[in-house]
This record gives sequence, C-alpha cells and structure tokens, in this order.
Amino acid sequence: MTGAALSIDALEAAVQRMAEDSLTPHRRAALERVKKNGLPTTRDEDWKYTELTPAFDVGNRWLSGLEPPGGATPPLAQAITESIDATWFIIANGSIVGDCAAAGASVGIEALRISELGAQATTDAPLADLNAALLKDGLRIVVPAAARLTRPIGLLCIDETTERPAMSQVRIELELADAACCEVLEYHASLGAAPHFANAVIHLRLGAKARAGYVRIQRRDPLHMLAGRLDVDQARGSEFSHVGFDLGGRLVRNDLQVSLAGTRASADLSGLYLAGTDQHIDNHIRVDHRVGPATSRQEYRGILAANARCVWNGKAIVHPGADGTDAEQANHNLLLSSGAEMDTKPELEIYADEVKCSHGATVGQLDERALFYLRTRGISSEEATRILTKAFGSSIVGHLPIAALRDTLADWVDARLSGLTEGSNR
Amino acid sequence: MLKITNLKARIGEVEILRGISLTVNAGEVHAIMGPNGSGKSTLAQVIAGHEDYEVTEGTITFEGVDLFGLAPEERARAGLFLGFQYPVEIPGVNNAYLLKAAVNARRKQHHKSEIDAFEFLKLAKEKMALLGMDPKFLNRGVNEGFSGGEKKRNEILQMAMLEPKLAILDETDSGLDIDALRAVAEGVNALRSPERAIILVTHYQRLLNYVEPDHVHVLSDGRIARSGDKTLAMELEAKGYDWIREAASA
Repeated sequence: MTGAALSIDALEAAVQRMAEDSLTPHRRAALERVKKNGLPTTRDEDWKYTELTPAFDVGNRWLSGLEPPGGATPPLAQAITESIDATWFIIANGSIVGDCAAAGASVGIEALRISELGAQATTDAPLADLNAALLKDGLRIVVPAAARLTRPIGLLCIDETTERPAMSQVRIELELADAACCEVLEYHASLGAAPHFANAVIHLRLGAKARAGYVRIQRRDPLHMLAGRLDVDQARGSEFSHVGFDLGGRLVRNDLQVSLAGTRASADLSGLYLAGTDQHIDNHIRVDHRVGPATSRQEYRGILAANARCVWNGKAIVHPGADGTDAEQANHNLLLSSGAEMDTKPELEIYADEVKCSHGATVGQLDERALFYLRTRGISSEEATRILTKAFGSSIVGHLPIAALRDTLADWVDARLSGLTEGSNR
Repeated sequence: MLKITNLKARIGEVEILRGISLTVNAGEVHAIMGPNGSGKSTLAQVIAGHEDYEVTEGTITFEGVDLFGLAPEERARAGLFLGFQYPVEIPGVNNAYLLKAAVNARRKQHHKSEIDAFEFLKLAKEKMALLGMDPKFLNRGVNEGFSGGEKKRNEILQMAMLEPKLAILDETDSGLDIDALRAVAEGVNALRSPERAIILVTHYQRLLNYVEPDHVHVLSDGRIARSGDKTLAMELEAKGYDWIREAASA
C-alpha cells in the first residue's frame, strides 16, 4: 500500500461536486475544519499504532472519480434483516434505504433523515469532520420518554464494491429520551472484490434513567476497512451496556467515547476482537467521569492468530469533583501465533479524591498446564486448543445485552475461531 | 498391566528419575511414598505423558503397549487416568462439558456412540452424591474458584466417570480435611476391582488408613529405595524419611 495522505484537493473538489441540499453548508464547514486540522497520522498519540494510509488510498481513488456509490441494497442486507428480529434501518453504500419514518412510526419511534432536519450535531474529531464533509445523508432516531421497545433497533451499515474502490459515510444520531429503554444492534457487513473504506459516526444520547443494551457486530469483508466511532452521552441514572464483536475487516478502528455527565450513570463496555492474517483491529475506548458517583467497566478480550496486529487503548478520566467514581478496566489477549502483535494500554487519569479505580492488561499464550490437563482426559491437542480458545472469549459472549442474539453470536464466534486456527479470514 | 523398566527422566539438565523399575498388576493398589523432591510427581507426570520431561532411558508398557509411542490423550483413551496434585482451573469451560467430552473420548475409542444427555446427568449426579459433591459443581467452570478439597473431589469424580483401568492419584490426599479425605478414599475404594489397578502417590501415610495398599514403595533421589507391604508405610510414619535416606546412603 502507498503511504499517501488523503488528497485535500480531491476532497474539496468532491465536496463541490455534491448536489446542493440542506446539508451543503455543513459539508463546507466540515471541509474547512479538515483543511485546518488535518486527518490522523501515526504522529498523533491516539493513532500511533494504526496507519490509515491504506484507507486514505481507497479514499483518493474514490474521490478522483466521485460518483457517489449507488443506493442499491445488496442481497446480503435482506439475508441479515430477515435472520435477525429487529426494527431495521439500512444504510447501504452510504445511502439511507427505504422509508425510515414509516419504519420508525410502526414501533412508536421517530426516525428522520438529517437532511430533512437541515441540521446536524458536530463531533470534535477529524474523521467525523471528513464524514460530515462527504455525507449524503444521515439518520436521526428518537425513542420517546418512558418507551420500552420490545424489539431491538437494528442499524445495518452495509457496503458493496464492484470494480472500483469506494468509500462511504454513515451518520446516525440516536436519542433515548428520559426513562426510555431499548436494545440496539449496530451491524457492519460488506462484500465486493474492490477495496472499501467505511467511515461511521454514531452519536447516542441517553436521557435520565434511560437504558440501552447495545451490541456492535462487525463482519466486514476481509479486504475492507472501517473507522467507526460511537459517542455516548449519559444523563443521570442512565445505564449503557455495550458489547462489540470484531469478526471481520482488514483494517478496523473503533472509537468508543462515553461521557458520564449525570450522577449514578453506569457504562458497561466490553468487546471481543478476533484477528488473523493481515488483519489490524484497533479499539480505543475513553470514558469521562464528569460527576460522581458513577460507574464504568471496560473489559475487552482479543484472540490473535497469524500475523494479526491489534491495539487496545482504554482510558478512564475522572474529572475534578467526580467523587464516588468506580472505574474498572481490563484487556486480555491471547496470541495463537508468534507472528501476532498486540499493543495494549489501559490508562487512568484521576483528578478526584474519593475514587475506586483498577486496571489490568495481559498478553499471553494458551495455558500449557490447561492443555495438558485436557489431554490427560482424552481430549486431542487440536480439540483442547479449540476448547480453551473458545473459553477465553466466552465471558464476553456471555455478557451479551441482547439475549436473543446469544446463540447466533456464539456460532459466529465459533466459526471465526475455526477460521483463525485454519488460517482463513472468510 | 503397567511395567516400568529402568526409567530415567530429566527436566532440562536436571535428572529426576534415575532408574525406576516397577510392575503393577491388575487388581493391585500400590502406594508410592517419599520425601519432597524424590521424584514421585515426576513419575506420575511421565506416565501420563507430560512433554516437559525428557525420558533418557528405560521403557514403560501399559497392557503390553509402549506408552512412549502414545500422546497423553491416547494414553487416557487407553484407560490411564492421572489425578492431578494441582488440578488446573479452566474458566469458561463448563465442568459438565469437560466430563462429557472426556467420557465421549473414551467411548469413541471403544467404538461406542456418545453418551446420552440424560444418562450422563444421572450418572454424574450419582457419582457426585457418593463423593458428597453438590450437583451445582457441574455447571461451574472447571475447578474455577473451587477450594482445595473441592478440586480433589472433582478429580475423583472425573475418575469415577471415566472408570480407568489404571488410576494414578498424585497427592490427592494433600491439603484435605478429614471429611474430604474420607470422601476421596471412598471414591477410590469404589473403583477397586480385580480388573483395575491404582497407584497412590502420597507424602503421608494417612490416606493409606482408608485405602489399604497391597504394595508400598519408597522413592528417594529418583530411585525406589525400598519396597514392602503396608507395614512399610507404618514404619515410615514412625521413623520418618531420614531413615530411608540414611539406609540408602549407607
């Protein structure tokens, strides 16, 4: 891959070429911010281990021709939405599919295109600016106060390439009003022989005492790339429970930022990433404890094979006055090959007095003693390896806030683990 | 059943077993005693197939088959069982799952179909009752958070489910209170039969009050320093291991 930066000239030309609509001023303002602030490079502390140039290279090749990718829904989308019970909203190749307002109304939630609102929230991050500069349209979903949804809200972000490399922007704003309660499934899928780079920005607001069980599943094509960002703002007494699964993709960066702005809010963040040949998966988590008491827990696990490279950075910042903070961070990694590489960094910044914080990280191989123990019980070496590898990830699968997905996910994780041990990314 | 001839083994540069010969016949219970560092546990691990130990000389046959040609799992499927001195905790692997996988591995060896779920549960609960184990232990991670006594009972449970031809119990009695010791002894005695053999590796004589051995061997510096019947164990208890060491060096 070439070590190119994204061409700002090509970006500017592309923004100019996009059809004039209510989002045009926002695109132009975002473009100015990109021009001023630049895009991440490995010289930035937060991007030290993740080189975005392969993604920018795709961006350059796409921008030069910029026909916005078509809005056609790949058949895969149908297969996914039919197999998982949810109120689905589909963003295919960066375009919102279908009548989202009607879909929302049918279950008592409000779903609008951002272009109809003529406004969008800004997120202070370079990739979010790039997203806003090239955004065709986004989605805004509001779950009304005290509503309790029985089906999960499904956000399907799906892309398909044909001959040409392509890039797509996903933008979703989701709000749970006070005391609303629902499950959310963010699902990433893609297919196609040409490279793809998806840049997703999702913003979730939880009102007082709102509760969200959030599952992110990333099963992109092994050639495709994703930078996904989820910002969560939590008000008083709200509960956010999140599990992310990275089961695909070539270059993946997930940013999860949670702001605990109300007392007695809790954030339970966990994830499992499985990476094999030529995969790079980076999870950056940041929790801001702005007031206390509040609790946050981060537990991520990774299983790396072949020449996989993964990064984990978990940060908890306890702001002045946030007494009564309880923050926990853990990242554990299993390396199945000597060629795999893991960079892990739990970080705590504490500016308050009465806090309870802990953090820990491990990188290791399978426990030889456990392998031998299983073998003395008649279990083959291969089977013992499979059992122990699966067991390593089981605490995350067991943590799933959408109970109905548990068996399906356990199967997908199993299948991906078999792929890892057999050296396949498909 | 088991025939060990002039077995020498080392770990790294350190020779631990320095020429052990031992024959164990079906129906017999052997106790292998000895001070710490005499090679008792190493002997148990080498028989089970631990790859950290390098066998430099000698042979072990099990029912006439050369054990060194078999991987640990093949030895287990052939009917060998090792009860660990320090059973390994395996979070995320359900105890029932392991038991079932182990039982099925043996059944497969004997060309039998997998055990029926209902039959398995019935059998496991029966054996657990005998060992004074709460059936809840089936649904916990293997040895995860178990007390010392619970781990040892769990080893005996696995043995009871697998019904091995030869069971080697490595210090299964250490660290047990009297109730646990009795339960473990009952489990071992229940397995005694003319077709099976048992090797008890132990530091102390007290387990032998409950499980009476046919033969007692004392290991010292990687060799069998003395063999005898159960009275040897009592003599050891009275005189201590220094007596053997002095006799061996004299």
